[in-house]
Amino acid sequence: MAVSRDTIVAILLLAFTALMWNASTEIEVTPYATMASSVWPQIILIGLGIFSGLLLAQSVTTKPSPEAEVEPERLGSMALLARYRNALIIYALFFLFLITLPYLGMLIGATAFVFLALTLLGRLNARMVGVHALIALGSVGSMWAIFTYALHVILPQGEILSNMY
Amino acid sequence: MIFENIALAFGAVFEFRNLFLMTLGVTAGLIAGSIPGFTITMAVVLTLPFTFGLTAVEGLATMIGVFVGGLSGGLMSGMLTGIPGTPSSIATTFDGFPLARSGRPGYALGIGVWSSFFGGIMSAVLLVTLAPRLATIGLEFGPWDYFALVLFALTITASLSGETLIKGIIAGMLGLLVATIGEDDVNGVERFSFGNDMLANGFSFLPVLIGLFAFSQLLSDIQDTETARKPLMDAGDAKGVKVEHWNAIKAIFKSWTNVVRSSLIGVFTGILPAAGGSISNILAYDQAKKASKESHKFGTGHVDGIIAPESANNATAGGALITMMALGIPGDVVTAVMLGALLIHNVQPSPTFIVDNPELAYSIFIAFFLAHFIMIGMQSFCLRAFLLVVRIPMYTLACVILVYCAIGVFALNNIQDDIWTLFIFGVVGYGLRLLGFPLAPMILGVVLGHVAELNLNRAVTISTTGDQFLLDMISRPWSLFFLILASFSLMFPFYQKHRSSKTWTVFFPPVLVLALSIPMFMMDGTVRTVIAFGLIAIAGYLVVKAGRRGFRVDPDDTPLTPPA
Repeated sequence: MAVSRDTIVAILLLAFTALMWNASTEIEVTPYATMASSVWPQIILIGLGIFSGLLLAQSVTTKPSPEAEVEPERLGSMALLARYRNALIIYALFFLFLITLPYLGMLIGATAFVFLALTLLGRLNARMVGVHALIALGSVGSMWAIFTYALHVILPQGEILSNMY
Repeated sequence: MIFENIALAFGAVFEFRNLFLMTLGVTAGLIAGSIPGFTITMAVVLTLPFTFGLTAVEGLATMIGVFVGGLSGGLMSGMLTGIPGTPSSIATTFDGFPLARSGRPGYALGIGVWSSFFGGIMSAVLLVTLAPRLATIGLEFGPWDYFALVLFALTITASLSGETLIKGIIAGMLGLLVATIGEDDVNGVERFSFGNDMLANGFSFLPVLIGLFAFSQLLSDIQDTETARKPLMDAGDAKGVKVEHWNAIKAIFKSWTNVVRSSLIGVFTGILPAAGGSISNILAYDQAKKASKESHKFGTGHVDGIIAPESANNATAGGALITMMALGIPGDVVTAVMLGALLIHNVQPSPTFIVDNPELAYSIFIAFFLAHFIMIGMQSFCLRAFLLVVRIPMYTLACVILVYCAIGVFALNNIQDDIWTLFIFGVVGYGLRLLGFPLAPMILGVVLGHVAELNLNRAVTISTTGDQFLLDMISRPWSLFFLILASFSLMFPFYQKHRSSKTWTVFFPPVLVLALSIPMFMMDGTVRTVIAFGLIAIAGYLVVKAGRRGFRVDPDDTPLTPPA
């Protein structure tokens, strides 16, 4: 019998609930005359456990619809990668942007992120690379200026720019 | 006193700087609302960081401008291209697009714009009159009642989110759980930190909200590479269209009953926590079709088919603001963001909000009125801007907005951890979307989690024992009222699914109305007793009406399907 996507999700949710329940038992108990800090999370976790169980039961008892036959998990890994290519590119670039933020700062880091994201997501030719560079410089530069000079928000400068000035 | 407050608020709202900001907000909303895939919520979310440096009145007025503009902007793309700009304008497309295609795009746009205006003005009148009264009722609420109200808000969000009820509830629970991470509000105890400083500090709800909603939405919009690379839409036929204002106003006055009915539907839907314009526009269209003598012409370019959804969706905004201002509970995701904006300015939304902050409260009322006039003025300009914006490919827009989100959430508290929160919840939100979980219940869970826990804690502390707490929950009239609504809202998806096939659905509305009469009888005052008798009479009428049909269901009574 094929396992549906919802079955896997429900099992993962049950495992997550168990993990969080275990963590909730370690919450400090205070001597105050108020409700203990673990009670509310445990009420939520009981509810989450019950409804995850119901989702599991529903996914096992309900027959999949004909459209659901081609679910993502039935696709090959290359097809999956192709389907979520853009999302994966953005996540990878955003992660890089965050990791390098202390060094590059917001101005350089964000410009690089926009330029790379546009270039990887859009068409790759010399003209478009130029257009993407202009969009990245213009959009990030204007936002940086608005926040820095108009809203007086000090955005992360980064080690590179800090060392230059 | 009221006139003094109104005068103060007028002074604040009609300042040049505020008028300029509101015009910018309405314009941005009109353009954002007209772009398919770019929802009003996202527009309001993106406006938020700009409001940090503004006063509370300016910030809220700008956001209201975006909200009102966004609700009206959706009709432009819907009518001119057949693709609704926002879920709130889906039903507008049914008749707006055929009317525009028949050679009268200016007339169709005029009907839409002026219906939005009249619907909005009607809801603004109701906002001014109902919000202070509802706030007076809110002052009667004890912690038990508030806890029950939050439960109702979450259950109705889950049941109206257009997905499976179980997934909606799970999403709501996940949102509540996210809100428990970090230091507990009452005892100051650290929870679920796993030794990590970021988790120990807890998540600010705005980066969570922007991550869950905006980040994941943008990634969904660019999932298909070819679509993402194309211009947003082809609106070539729309060049040279002029809005026919006068003809439109005359046509709307002829259908004034439709405007009033649809606006009331919109306001009522807005008052319900989490039920927004995406539901009210379809509900109003459905009712207008049923009430029309020319129902067979609906879908071919009938004027009433445009008036109903457009009046309703703008009226929903007023309804959502009523709930937010009177009870401190967000009426939908947009008002959840506004609630966040109030918190940034150290204003705590609660039933005492209008009394404690009269200038801000009345400024919101006036700004809501004013935004509709600005919307009418800016519509023609935005039509031209709309034609320019839709030439941009989605991937360009998405990449730029993602960076803007990062800068915006950093500006919130000036800490980089908030950008990590944005990223993490962007991943979570996208994953949940792909797995078919609605995000609205999760967002409401995050927003209302602290309110729920705080009130539960107070209630349990006052009730002293668990048994006494449960007894208090069902013996206090407002608490019982909301618990009954919560129970019925859990059953609502089943009612919707089976209402044209199963006999038990015939009894669902009268039983609900009858059940609500019980807490009304328990309340003090003659008016409420009269309302309780009125509810019994309505229940009786519904049963008699069903009895005349032999308690048979109407097979043509197709269920309302809110857009996902």
